[in-house]
Amino acid sequence: MALFPLQANFRGDFVVLLVPVDDGDTMSVVADKVAQHAVGLRVAEKNASKCVYHNGKELPSAITVAQSGIQPMDWIEVAYV
Amino acid sequence: MPKLQRRDYYDTARDMNWAFSYVSEDEVFPEELSKSFGIHGEEWWGWDEPYKLTYREYVHNQAGKDDGIYSIRSTIARSNLYDNLDAGWKSAIKAHYGAIPVPEYFASIGEARMARFGRAAAWRNMAAFGTLDECRHGQAQIYFPYCLLGKDPQFDWAHKAMHTNEWGVIAARSLFDDMFTANDAVSTAIQLTFTFETGFTNLQFLGMASDALHVGDIEFGALISSIQTDEARHSQQGEPTLKIMINNGKKAEAQKLVDQMFWRSWKLFALLTGISMDYYTPLESRTMSFKEFMQDWICRQFMDQFKDLGMNVPWYWEKHFLPELDWVHHAYHMGVWFWRPTVWWNPDAGVSAAERDWLEQKYPGWNDRFGKLWDVIGNNVRTGQIEKTYPATLPIVCNCCHIPICSPSIGQAPRITTHNGRKLNFCCEVCEWVWKSQPERYETHLSVVDRFLAGHIQPPTLEGALQYMGITPDVAGNDAQGYAWDGASRLAAE
Repeated sequence: MALFPLQANFRGDFVVLLVPVDDGDTMSVVADKVAQHAVGLRVAEKNASKCVYHNGKELPSAITVAQSGIQPMDWIEVAYV
Repeated sequence: MPKLQRRDYYDTARDMNWAFSYVSEDEVFPEELSKSFGIHGEEWWGWDEPYKLTYREYVHNQAGKDDGIYSIRSTIARSNLYDNLDAGWKSAIKAHYGAIPVPEYFASIGEARMARFGRAAAWRNMAAFGTLDECRHGQAQIYFPYCLLGKDPQFDWAHKAMHTNEWGVIAARSLFDDMFTANDAVSTAIQLTFTFETGFTNLQFLGMASDALHVGDIEFGALISSIQTDEARHSQQGEPTLKIMINNGKKAEAQKLVDQMFWRSWKLFALLTGISMDYYTPLESRTMSFKEFMQDWICRQFMDQFKDLGMNVPWYWEKHFLPELDWVHHAYHMGVWFWRPTVWWNPDAGVSAAERDWLEQKYPGWNDRFGKLWDVIGNNVRTGQIEKTYPATLPIVCNCCHIPICSPSIGQAPRITTHNGRKLNFCCEVCEWVWKSQPERYETHLSVVDRFLAGHIQPPTLEGALQYMGITPDVAGNDAQGYAWDGASRLAAE
C-alpha cells in the first residue's frame, strides 16, 4: 500500500487535478476519490455509477491501481456511466 | 549661443558605430548576451529607430509626466474616490499591481542589456531610454499601491508578489525571465519590444486606461496612460531589429522568436486581462468583451503590422489561438475563483443573472460549458455550503505556461511527455512545442506541482502550499462581492 499520485478529470469539469490515491485502491474507490474534488462542487451530482478511463479504455471497477497498469502521474478520466 | 535644431546634430550624436581593431566582435558582443543570429558588424549599422528622441527631450518629457501623475495621486488621496470603486475593479488593479510593477524593473534589466549589447549605436541609445522608462514604471506602479496600503493590505503584494512562489507569480516570472530578464539583446528586441509590447501591452494599456476612466478610477487611468506613452516609444526597438534580421535572411529565426513569445504572452494575458475584462470590470462599464478586444486590437492591428513586414501569422493561429479566444480565460477565471485563497486579490465571480446573459451573448455556449458549473457553485452558496466552494487539492499546471491545465471540452487529455526520464505535462500542443523548441532553457525549472511532489512544500497540504506561496490570512483572496452575485441570498463572507 503506497501513495500514488494521479492526474485526473471528472468528465464535465474544467480542470485537471492532482489526486492522491493508494496503489491498493480499486477503480471504484479511485472514481470516488476523484469525484470528491469535483462532483457537488462544480459538476452536478447524478444518481449513477462511475467508471474510470485510462488511455481511452474503461477499467474494471474491481481491479486495483497496482493491477491496472496505471503509472504515477498518468492521466485518468472519471465519468458517470 | 544659438541652440542647434535636433536634426542638425542628432545623427552625429547617436551614430557612434565603429569597426573594432583591438578586440574581436565576439568579445564586445558575446553571443550569450547579444546573439548575432549570424549577422555581423556593419550589417547592424543601418538600424534606424522610427521615433527620434534626445536626452534633453527625454528628461523634459518624463519630468512633465511624473509631475502630472504624482499631482493627480496627491489630489485623489484627499478624496474618497478609491472607497467608492467597484469591488471587482479593485480586484483588477490589485492583480495588475502584483503582476506588473516588479517585472517592470526586470524589464529594465532587459533594456539595459540591449543598451550595452545591442548591435547598433542608435539601438543602444534608444534602449538606454527604455531602461530609464522601465525603472520609472516600476517606481510609479509600486508607489501608487503603497499609498493604498492603509486601505487594504492586499496592495502590499505590488511589491511582495514577485519575491514569492505564489503559483501565478511562478507563471509570470517564468514568462518574464524567458522574455527579458534572462534573454539576449537581439531576442529581447524581437520578443519583448516587438511581440509583447507592440502586440500586447501597448494596446492593453490604452484599453485599461480607458476602462479606468469609465469606472471612475482617475488615478489608475492617469498612471497607465503615462506609462503607455513610454511603451509606445521604446516598443519601437523591435521593428528595426526585425527588419535587419529579415534583410539578412533570418526571417525563419525571427518568426520562431515571435511565435514562441506570442504564445507565452497570450497565456498570461488571458489569465490577467481576460478575467479582468470579462468578470472584474463592472458590467455597466464594459465597452467590449475580451474576445472583441483581442479581435479588434491584437489580431487586427498587430497582425496587419506584422504582415506588412513580411512575416507570417504564427503556425498555431487558426488551430489553437483563435479557438482559445472563446474559452480559455473563462476556465482560468473559474480556477482563480475556486482556488481564491491562493491569490492576493479578491476574485469577483461576475456571474450574476445579468452578467451571465452578457457572457452568453458575447460567448454563445458559455452557459452550457461554464454556466452549468457555476450553477452548482451558486447552489452551494445559496444553501450555505461555502466549504464546498473551496478546493482540497491542487490543479495540475503546465510545464510551459505554468497555468493550470484546463480543457475546452470533455474528455480532452493533457499532453504528457517524458524528457530525460522526467514526466512533463503540457496544456496544449503549442506549449509543448515552445518547451521542446529550447529544452535547455526550461528543463531545470520545476512547476509548483513538481515542487509539491518533490517534497519542497511542507506540510504537503493546501495549507502548506499557501504557506509556501507566501499567502497570509490577511491577503488570501475571498469573493469580492461577499457572494452578492448569487441574487436572492446574499451571504456575509464566511
